[in-house]
Amino acid sequence: MIKRLTGTALVWATAVVLAVFIAGPLLWLAVRAFATSWTYPNLLPDGWTLKWWGTVFQDPSLAVAVQNSLVLAPLTVLIAAVVCLPAAWAISRIEFPGRRVVLVGLFATNAFPKMGLFVTMSAMFTALNLMNTVTGILIVHVLGCVVFMTWLPAAAFSAVPRSLEEAARDAGAGRWRTFWSVTFPIAWPGILVAMVMSFLASFDEAQGTYLVGAPAYMTMPTAMYSLVLNSPRQVSAVFAIALSIPSVVLMTLARKHIMGGRLADGFQIR
Amino acid sequence: MTQTVPNGPALDREARGDTATGLPAVPSPAQGPRRPTGRPTTQERLARRRRVQGLALVTAPVLVVVLFVGVPVVNAALFSLGFTGGLSQALADIGQDTVNGFSFAVYGTLLGNPTFLRDLAATIGVTLASTGLTIALAVVVAVILRLRGGFLGRTLSVLAVVPIFVPVVIASWSILTFTDAQGFLRSAGAQVGIDVPVWGYTLVAVVFGSVWTSLPFAVLMIAGALQGTPDALIEAARDAGASTWRVVWQVLLPMAATPMVIATTFTVIGVLGSFTVPYFTGPNAPTMLGVDISKYFQSYNRPQQSTAMAFIVFAFAAAASVLYLRSTVRSNARELGKGPR
Repeated sequence: MIKRLTGTALVWATAVVLAVFIAGPLLWLAVRAFATSWTYPNLLPDGWTLKWWGTVFQDPSLAVAVQNSLVLAPLTVLIAAVVCLPAAWAISRIEFPGRRVVLVGLFATNAFPKMGLFVTMSAMFTALNLMNTVTGILIVHVLGCVVFMTWLPAAAFSAVPRSLEEAARDAGAGRWRTFWSVTFPIAWPGILVAMVMSFLASFDEAQGTYLVGAPAYMTMPTAMYSLVLNSPRQVSAVFAIALSIPSVVLMTLARKHIMGGRLADGFQIR
Repeated sequence: MTQTVPNGPALDREARGDTATGLPAVPSPAQGPRRPTGRPTTQERLARRRRVQGLALVTAPVLVVVLFVGVPVVNAALFSLGFTGGLSQALADIGQDTVNGFSFAVYGTLLGNPTFLRDLAATIGVTLASTGLTIALAVVVAVILRLRGGFLGRTLSVLAVVPIFVPVVIASWSILTFTDAQGFLRSAGAQVGIDVPVWGYTLVAVVFGSVWTSLPFAVLMIAGALQGTPDALIEAARDAGASTWRVVWQVLLPMAATPMVIATTFTVIGVLGSFTVPYFTGPNAPTMLGVDISKYFQSYNRPQQSTAMAFIVFAFAAAASVLYLRSTVRSNARELGKGPR
């Protein structure tokens, strides 16, 4: 009985520490967006105001950054899907020479430090006239999604029972019809997870975008860099909340699939 | 790549071998042994056509990666070894302290530089601490979710995944405001008369931020594996008199070995090369190498040393990846003979 109680107490203590650890910084930041000023060591601000929201929404450069982000991220997902999804299907369904080399090679792009990659890439981009262009930024963003967009959908395609596909073929459905009405719908949740992860990766990308795109093209995260360094904390707090909105929306939409172990399945080499 | 040899035992093994997750594996392309002479059978022609199809379909992402990662990385490797022509010409002309001609001089200079060594030590230290804490926390969350479940388990697991949806810039910045001189931790401490140390702009904050940003992936991986552990296994162990500790150590964690290795690798790689978290929350010195790479490139105008640093970080990341690749391949090999579940 005592053992059980200590166990319960331990679990609750862990839960509280974890909650403070994870939610604490976010709440502490969020409250700041509505604060007039803040005196240490009070746990609440001196007063409440909405004026910082006005400051942010009236800043045209920030509006442009929001716009850029909202155009670039879906475009990145689209390009990454077109480039990677057929490959994911092939990796899952066809035993071609070098299949594992491809999987591992794509993974290796993750292992090279991002900053180092961008630094070396910038030499090439300068030679190719890709600095300060949308194409350059898109290349950087798509590179960040390649692993998600191949590994996760490949696992999703592999999880489609072959017997179902064969049954459809036996019933007279063609290859396309089988793919679109059997394979794809079953694999869709996995592909959706890949798309959400890619969207977030693109939406989140700051280092490479800054190096390749700034100052011609600022996105929300790169704007955040300069905002944090140059404006009152309340303004960056407001912008931080705005920057989190798309992620929160996506999280509520795709939470079930992401938590359901699809991510875990997707990173096994087969 | 033995598994690409048609009809070889390795291929057959992979086809049967299945995966750790029990998903169906790729079928064997060729059905019978290849005849030494004569025209290929229809089946063989079909199989070959499919292999070509497969190669054609993966060309697109491979090309993107080769062109925009492979080429710059190879070029950077050559540059750091003293080849200053080609794409590196412009950088070599602008940069200072550029070494010309093949040598390991750039690496030698770096490894003889006490500042760099201190930063390297800081990077490795932060990586080890962050990875250890991340995996430990993830295991705790996953075990609570698995063994206790209920409202608390679900809430914890959702909470632990929240950071994946928060852009790293915001995460870093909010952690800085949380831990700096006027942050929450100090304010809360002051309320009850405790003088909490200032963690903002120290390596502690960097570890805090690294754990914060790496936790969701680790939780997803490990919780996914533990949720898949059959109840029967746990109950059998309990019936045999195993305590909760033993159930965790000897039943649950072994089942999650591969996902844990994957989570560890991704965390190591992510923290080793991280830039945003140490840039915002860390001290000016010692700093992590991700920040150094950028500083040496932009502020100090030493692109050659900057690329050499990237390779040193890469060497550590690659070592961690080898562990991962070996572990997943081995766990798939262990599944041999079990057949589809």
